[in-house]
Amino acid sequence: MKQRITIDPITRLEGHGKIEIFLDDAGNVSSAYFQVPELRGFESFCVGRQAEEMPNITNRICGVCPEAHHMAAIKAVERAFGLECLPAARRIRELIYMAFFVTDHTTHFYCLGGPDFIVGPDAPPAERNILGVIRKVGLDVGQQVIACRKRNHDLIKRLGGRGIHLCGALPGGWAVPLTADMRQDFRQTARENVDFAQFSLTVFADVVLGNPLYHDMLLSDLYRNETHSMGTVNADFAPDFYDGTIRVVDTVGNQVTMYESQDYLEHLAEHVEPWSYLKFPYLKQFGWKGFVDGQESGIYQATPLARLNVADRMATPLAQAEYEHFFETFEARGTGPHGRNLPVHHRLATHWARLIELLQAAERMVELLDHPDICDPNVRGKVEPRAGVGVGCVEAPRGTLFHHYETDERGQLKKVNMIVGTTNNNAPISLSIMKAATGLIKGGVFNDGILNRVEMAFRLYDPCCSCATHALGKAPLELSLRRSDGSLLDRITRD
Amino acid sequence: MIVIGLGSPFLTDDSVGPRVVRELVRQGCDGVRLVESHAGGMLLLEELAGTRRAVIVDALVDVRREPGEVVVSGVENHSRNASCGHDCTLTQALAMGRAMGLSLPANEHIHLVAITAGDVTTFSEQLTAPVQAALVGACSAVREILAGDFQSGQREMS
Repeated sequence: MKQRITIDPITRLEGHGKIEIFLDDAGNVSSAYFQVPELRGFESFCVGRQAEEMPNITNRICGVCPEAHHMAAIKAVERAFGLECLPAARRIRELIYMAFFVTDHTTHFYCLGGPDFIVGPDAPPAERNILGVIRKVGLDVGQQVIACRKRNHDLIKRLGGRGIHLCGALPGGWAVPLTADMRQDFRQTARENVDFAQFSLTVFADVVLGNPLYHDMLLSDLYRNETHSMGTVNADFAPDFYDGTIRVVDTVGNQVTMYESQDYLEHLAEHVEPWSYLKFPYLKQFGWKGFVDGQESGIYQATPLARLNVADRMATPLAQAEYEHFFETFEARGTGPHGRNLPVHHRLATHWARLIELLQAAERMVELLDHPDICDPNVRGKVEPRAGVGVGCVEAPRGTLFHHYETDERGQLKKVNMIVGTTNNNAPISLSIMKAATGLIKGGVFNDGILNRVEMAFRLYDPCCSCATHALGKAPLELSLRRSDGSLLDRITRD
Repeated sequence: MIVIGLGSPFLTDDSVGPRVVRELVRQGCDGVRLVESHAGGMLLLEELAGTRRAVIVDALVDVRREPGEVVVSGVENHSRNASCGHDCTLTQALAMGRAMGLSLPANEHIHLVAITAGDVTTFSEQLTAPVQAALVGACSAVREILAGDFQSGQREMS
């Protein structure tokens, strides 16, 4: 008799998602799926609108990464209109984007990923949250998290026009210049961000690397999947979250390809499964081989871990030192092809990679604010809508984000396509869930702690499938056991 | 005093919170900060900090109710929109903020005005007819709370 375990909605994941785990007659895992519900009609909603509306529409698709959609959208519009962004405006955009990266990565570590380690994977679900973190490590951490969010949201609000759903992007530029007063304030913000990022890496070193149990989890095969890696790099092959060239390396560290974002369709294709509305992108060069990892599979990841795997170095000095320590810990530093690092495939290391990115983003803010031209008042250019095709791309905190627009001669949209960060990682998320579930659920035996360890396998991806489904009351985690005919055997609900 | 309209303005009835806020802006609402938001959790905490009373207006998905039904409840029954899957629930955010010493409204001074939705998964700027018709009642419910006329239990959830 087959059994099905359903985790729905997944706790601490943006939007509504569901994990389905099927057990065989012996109570072992036969298959596992990650599913998200469908939102209908986005393309038809956009077609016919002026392209320049897109930054302010797409930044409301998601309550978590509006800045990423805002930036990808304006870059796609500029490509379609044949515009270059003015230099000071480009730096303002990147400054805002780094402030967003700092808040987003901070929030994930302290509110979503970190509680599994700081409070413990077997702690009651009601304890595994930011309040549990504060109880464990003290009020000061909570104060620092709130202060970090506040100072960076203040920056976004002052430069972006709104704290929630910013609206500063204009084709070819930005709505307002950076003033000298702002620059003075934001330098303090940036310096505090650097301190906070270093503090967070210390917390990770103490709590995770310093704990033998968690250290073993980090290195365990349970959370290890060999896939290719994709991410954006600058001319020095360091991660670039705002702009650059997309690099893909294979499972052993060979460069597979480098491509400009507008060529993404030459390199990526999307596989469809009947049980999921969310597609499964894969590398065309390898083809879709099913839900298998390894060198021959077309599955790739586009995550903080992937961005470190594709890079040859970090873009800033403090982050570089952490990057070297990271690869040394996994005995991967300089041991790959041509002296490059071997890719790290231990997926829980994504949490660590995220904090190294947090540090780079903070350091980059300092660099941008030191640039002599950042206060140049010339941030608005002349815009002439035209017929064209444009792809805008940024590294969202959770993965590479593509916006692809086609406009007519009036600048109205004819076609719209997007691949969001979580979609890139849809196949590896399923792989990771399957591996963790298979290793943890034996003979039909499971409990809250085991199910949470399964959840940890996807939470590390920081997936975001915001879908605005909601109901009064708490969002429960529901676990259902079903017979092969679908009838209910048992159901456990936890808050 | 703050009124927060929660929801995406582009997902049919999910936009009812922002629509109520826009209507209140149009009508005028002296001394009240009117805010639209598509995210809850700690972002809401940051909006609530420094205020003494708050009203959160949101779409409600509840198959037991007819689309367009307006319900008023306390913060304990906050909607999932008021949570952010990326950080925490509104209750957790408030507890965290109070532990940090932030100036936040007491729970009894945070009201939720929820309008039962018919469709929150289709991209559209149009409300469904029953929810469109409920806008007037939802605005009235907010104004009653703002005026301090709201009597506990008047529209409490069953």
